[in-house]
Amino acid sequence: MRNAGGYAVLYNENGVHKEADTFTCHHCCTVQHVAPKCDPADLGGLCKSCMKLICPRCANKGTCEPWEEQMRRAEASYHARRSYGF
Amino acid sequence: MAKFSTSNGLAGTPQAMTTSNKSIVSVLGAASAPRRGKIYDLMFGTIGTPADTAFIYNILTMTADDGTKTNVTPNPLDPADAAATTLSRANFTAEGTVGAATTSRFYVGVNQRASYRWVAAPGSEIVWAATANTGYVVVGQGPSGGGSGTAATGVTLLFEEQ
Repeated sequence: MRNAGGYAVLYNENGVHKEADTFTCHHCCTVQHVAPKCDPADLGGLCKSCMKLICPRCANKGTCEPWEEQMRRAEASYHARRSYGF
Repeated sequence: MAKFSTSNGLAGTPQAMTTSNKSIVSVLGAASAPRRGKIYDLMFGTIGTPADTAFIYNILTMTADDGTKTNVTPNPLDPADAAATTLSRANFTAEGTVGAATTSRFYVGVNQRASYRWVAAPGSEIVWAATANTGYVVVGQGPSGGGSGTAATGVTLLFEEQ
């Protein structure tokens, strides 16, 4: 795939070398392996809000909630709780 | 942004796989002043005597620094870097607070005789938030549908701390 988000290398039980592209879902940070010549629809989809690749699970949700935003919320909540002494 | 290596070979005794999840190595934000981290390289392979069945590897969320485990000190890839603030734990003998399968960030099954490596392109790493005692754990599992594979496995994680 173009602009792959990663690369996987496997030496299988027979010592045969196999490789695959991967991408990381922009909404949940899950690594997805890309099978050769697979149907793009089977990989998940392209979020039309953030224009990033997403996994099938997030594609089925139909919402755009980037992982970066989720982490920012978690960190803000953590810092707020710390400031209250929890 | 310093880069570090951690593995379950740094301390403790690698544990045999079972047919339920067995935590192998984890990375967690520090209890105080946690930093964001990014897993960008993952390698694993069987270090015992393998059977001709599969092992399943999963990266799940971990939300507490608990369980019975061995504390590991990640090694900086550049010796000029300061020590990591990120906590790393390995070779769990009792499971900690590990997320459900729906929190999986990485899921792959490989033959026990196989070895595997995944490398992220910049911007596609597995990132954890800068919150205390939360992060990821690599868990392994023997074949749930039967089989005799219980060998221990070695897992190495390379991560970046922000």
